[in-house]
Amino acid sequence: MNYMILAAIILPILAGGGLLLAPERVFADRPGLLKVTGVSFVVSALLAVGVIAGVGGSSLMLFQLVDGIPVYFAVDSLGRAFAGIVVLVFLVAGFFSFVYMSHEKNERRYYAFYQITFGVLMGLCFSGNLVTMYLFYELMTLASVPLVIHQGSREAVMAGLKYLFYSFCGAYMALFGIYFLYQYAICAGVREPWHDFYISAGVVGFVPGGAFNMDAVVQSGNTGLCLVAVFLMIAGFGVKAGCFPLHAWLPAAHPVAPAPASAFLSGIIVKGGVLAIIRTVYYCVGPDFLRGTWVQTAWAVLAIVTLLMGSTLAFKEKVLKKRFAYSTVSNLSYILLGLSMMNASAFTGSILHVIFHAVIKSGLFLTAGALIFLTGRTKVNDFMGLGKRMPILFWSYTIVSLGLIGIPPTSGVISKWYLAVGCLESGLAGLSWIGPVALLVSALLTAGYLLPLSIRGFLMEPDYNAVRSDYREPKPLMLVPVAVLAVLTLALGIIPAPLIGFVQNSIAAALF
Amino acid sequence: MRDGFWTVIFPFVMCFWVWFVSRVKKKDKKKLCAWILLLASAVEFVVALGMVLCDLRGFAMEATEVPGVGGLGLHFMYSGFRGILGVLTAFAWLVTSLFSFDYMKSDTNVIKYDVFNLLTLGATMGIFYAADLFTLFFFFEIMSFTSFVWVAHRRTREALYASGTYLGVAIAGGMAILMGLFIVYHQLGTLSFDRISDCVMAGMDGVSLTWLFAAAGCMFVGFGAKAGAFPVHVWLPQSYTEAPAPATALLSAILSKTGIFGIMLVTLDVLPMQGRWGVFLLLVGVVTMVLGGIRGVTSSNFKTTLAYSSMSQIGFILTGVGMQSLLAEYLAGTIGTAGLTLTAGAGYMDSEAVTEITKVFGMAVNGTYLHMLNHSLVKLVLFMVAGVIFVQVGSYELNQVRGFGRRKPFLLVVFVLAAAGVGGIPFLNGYVSKTLLHESIAEYARWLELREYVSVVSSIEPVISASAKMMQLVEALFLFSGGLTVAYMTKLFVVLFVEKNSDKKVQETYDAKKDYASMVEKFAIGVCALPIPFIGMLPNLVAKPLAEYGLVRFGLSGLLAHHQENVHYYSLKNLSGALISIVTGVLVYLIVVRIMILRRVLAQNKEKGYRDIFPSWLNMEKYVYRAVFYTAIPFILGIFSRILDSIVDTVVVILRKTVYSDRALPYELPEGNRVTHRIGCTMERVRLLYYAMMRKEGYVPKNYTHKLAMKKTDLFENLRIIENSLSFGLFMFCVGLGLTMIYLLVVN
Repeated sequence: MNYMILAAIILPILAGGGLLLAPERVFADRPGLLKVTGVSFVVSALLAVGVIAGVGGSSLMLFQLVDGIPVYFAVDSLGRAFAGIVVLVFLVAGFFSFVYMSHEKNERRYYAFYQITFGVLMGLCFSGNLVTMYLFYELMTLASVPLVIHQGSREAVMAGLKYLFYSFCGAYMALFGIYFLYQYAICAGVREPWHDFYISAGVVGFVPGGAFNMDAVVQSGNTGLCLVAVFLMIAGFGVKAGCFPLHAWLPAAHPVAPAPASAFLSGIIVKGGVLAIIRTVYYCVGPDFLRGTWVQTAWAVLAIVTLLMGSTLAFKEKVLKKRFAYSTVSNLSYILLGLSMMNASAFTGSILHVIFHAVIKSGLFLTAGALIFLTGRTKVNDFMGLGKRMPILFWSYTIVSLGLIGIPPTSGVISKWYLAVGCLESGLAGLSWIGPVALLVSALLTAGYLLPLSIRGFLMEPDYNAVRSDYREPKPLMLVPVAVLAVLTLALGIIPAPLIGFVQNSIAAALF
Repeated sequence: MRDGFWTVIFPFVMCFWVWFVSRVKKKDKKKLCAWILLLASAVEFVVALGMVLCDLRGFAMEATEVPGVGGLGLHFMYSGFRGILGVLTAFAWLVTSLFSFDYMKSDTNVIKYDVFNLLTLGATMGIFYAADLFTLFFFFEIMSFTSFVWVAHRRTREALYASGTYLGVAIAGGMAILMGLFIVYHQLGTLSFDRISDCVMAGMDGVSLTWLFAAAGCMFVGFGAKAGAFPVHVWLPQSYTEAPAPATALLSAILSKTGIFGIMLVTLDVLPMQGRWGVFLLLVGVVTMVLGGIRGVTSSNFKTTLAYSSMSQIGFILTGVGMQSLLAEYLAGTIGTAGLTLTAGAGYMDSEAVTEITKVFGMAVNGTYLHMLNHSLVKLVLFMVAGVIFVQVGSYELNQVRGFGRRKPFLLVVFVLAAAGVGGIPFLNGYVSKTLLHESIAEYARWLELREYVSVVSSIEPVISASAKMMQLVEALFLFSGGLTVAYMTKLFVVLFVEKNSDKKVQETYDAKKDYASMVEKFAIGVCALPIPFIGMLPNLVAKPLAEYGLVRFGLSGLLAHHQENVHYYSLKNLSGALISIVTGVLVYLIVVRIMILRRVLAQNKEKGYRDIFPSWLNMEKYVYRAVFYTAIPFILGIFSRILDSIVDTVVVILRKTVYSDRALPYELPEGNRVTHRIGCTMERVRLLYYAMMRKEGYVPKNYTHKLAMKKTDLFENLRIIENSLSFGLFMFCVGLGLTMIYLLVVN
């Protein structure tokens, strides 16, 4: 029993609840609020880091929901990887928001829900069976809605409702899959090292390579229906990951949130969908059951369609944050494409891209936030000639942009390499080479939608009607997070070996 | 320092130093940065030269690995070819940084230029010393992005446009190379150059030639773009024209060679001995050299002419690479792939054909290699001369530049050396390499013709992708392109040194200018011009050892070493080719330039002026690439994406309008009621329709809604008056009575 996990999940939620429920006069002055929030951010992050580092045991059985289905947490390598980037982006975007939110109302509510979302995400990363994961998945949707509708404008509320509608559509599709597959869950048959807590994990616990008795499915003659159920689960969880056709909430909801929240939503929360899909496919159903079926083909096709569509729409979009939101749609589908290939290279590429994209996309949204904060403008073409005034901000932006395009020596090229090689290795007729081509076409479009901002910022003369002379580099608390993410993008590209080793040896090796 | 690794890292380190200096120092930082650049280039040159010397002295060269970087790790190695290219690169950087020491003095952004210059130097070294395709790609991308800053350096509208094209082509090319890498890695499981060729030659299981051709095609797009090969050369003329002169010199002299280097590696390692690939390269090379030549002759801008000249010369080099591939195909077919890499044994030397073709092969390889070196030297000189002219004249237009070179002996000497050198005039360097290339094509054509004539083609004979007719055509076009080179260089020479400027005052100031270039600049240009006659006059002493050393470890050493003999460069047969080119060139110059291009310009002073006669609608960059890739394809993709994007939203909206319709919010009409509103609107629409269909005149709305509402108000007011009147009461009373009577009647 390891209550450290519980603490890492509950503490942020309690802290958030406290902030929310505290009487108005307690946090009347802003500095006091920031101090308290900052301390609780750091404490939450430290607890999470403790769990990731493996302080104490690695599993926790909380209570039985119904007989045989417990709320159960287990820390494995995949959960560690996801939790790691959650902590990183949480801290970076959190401290960024200390400056950014000074322009917004209801700051306290924002910090409260921001922390609650973090706690819920910890729960999602560390959940040890399908039902626990589903629980936190739904909680994640609910906790993040207040972040979306924070500004309270009509547009924001409509976007929030859209977000809820789409998320629940997806969640119900997934829930159907869970109900259907429940009958095939098995309780035994897995030995060391998982064995100790496998039994206690309940019937839908995660086992690398699959926890369901697929032979029973085949014997019962329900293979076709089972494939439909799995596909529904993939498509349902895929909603959160912005997968076509139910992606439309993403470009609506992400841009209306305050910029640091957008960074958190686009960098992290969408990855919740990815994590759920990985858990379903690789830890419950098992890739062997899906390999070569129509589900794999349909999944890959949807991913390819989405990634091209997202890039094109981002290329056409003129509003900066919306452009980045479409870019998220596209990049999440890189990850889904890699997952759909079901081999070690593509899987490694996907996990790497989860990490790199979280870093890069937070960097992009935080840059957008800084620009909006400083200039009050939102269109891509509004920032001409600002590069000279804010060199560090624009250089950071340029570096993360190169990362997203996949230009060496930044990190993006590594994940793209594994993804493309994985696609070619998969041997799916046609898709094996259409996938890499789509990745590269999308990379070209990425260059087309990201680089103009830096080119115009550095090389063009400012439009003196619009640019005031007092535009300067943002405050350190705003600049440092962006710079940190840029440096990470570069560093992960130059020294990726430990990370690749971790992903390949600790996560992928158990699955394939 | 037994390999290129330190030469790659060093400039990056120096770049940080420049950045640091520019931050810390307040005064004189420009000068200090320029010194750092110069120093770094000098150190690079010494180290690169040192490596060649070490190799010659017999020290073993090691391969270095930097594990993990970029996922696959970086690998560097040394070979003769790389060594010479490395020395050439460092040399080019050294002279251009010497040149830019004075040239960029007045520039406000010179520190930025220095920083990116150093970055590009490191990346270029990385390309040349790369031991695998991934390292090559890694540095190729870095180089593309850092050199982009050169093109955009001047920040004018044109420079930004040109740099946009440059960046677009560079990124697209980079992605194409990456696709090629994916395929090669997937097919062969390795990216190391040594093992690639081994795998391909050994004919590994499951390696499909179709895939390899696809990979080679992809990589050709990327490398060819950097080199300036035909369908992907579109960025070249504008970017060369817009970049500052020292940067253009480097773009043309070195960066285009990185593209050629890539293509050579693809040809020799990924698709060795594939004749079809050779035919493709030959085709591309011929089109590039002819097109570049034609555009060079027709252009009216000094620097653009030089840019097209670069393109044309790249065409010559590509032709040479294609010839290598074609000849290797025959040799591989006859003596087996193994024989090519082994040192010459006795077993396969019997056949006279093999001896003959091997000789021709040797000429093609040497010619290609020498032409790369020659072109670099010549273009360094010419672009630096262009820079000198630009500083004084402020323009590259031929009409402005006219007469600038008169009474400037130094300029005359270096320009003539370089122009005649690249034009293939005997006793200068271009003659040697062009003769080698020409002879290899001509000999091969002759040999093929003979073979077809005798028709001894037995079943043992390998398949040959080329035909005699084709080779003869290539030979003719080769000579014609040589002629074009002579023609456009004559054009530039006449403009600079023979003709006088149409404006007498301007000519006087030109004549009076003695200090048009500083000593340092003159030194930089002179150093590059010096080897030109040297190579040309002592080809067997200079050119041959250079070429031979370069080919060490290039897969072909053994065979070539045995068959190389001194080529008699100044025999009648070899001179005749050059003569044909020169005569063609003079003819083209007289007809095209003197008659077609020189026309009277607007009445100014009845002087003739130069103009660009190439039709502007043939601008591929604008009307094909930008139109298709930047406008049309995103537009079409955009339409599809919009449809896909809105599918679910549309469904939701339709559902809400139909099945799940929310109750319409009640709202009050400003006037009238629903009936009058509806009728009014309908009448209005009918009238609009009638006007639109029958009467074409302007439509003036009649405002039926309002009128009907008025009518309704009137009516209801009247009705109310009537309702309230006594007579209405009496009337109703009568109606009531009447109804009662009818009722009574009916009941009874």
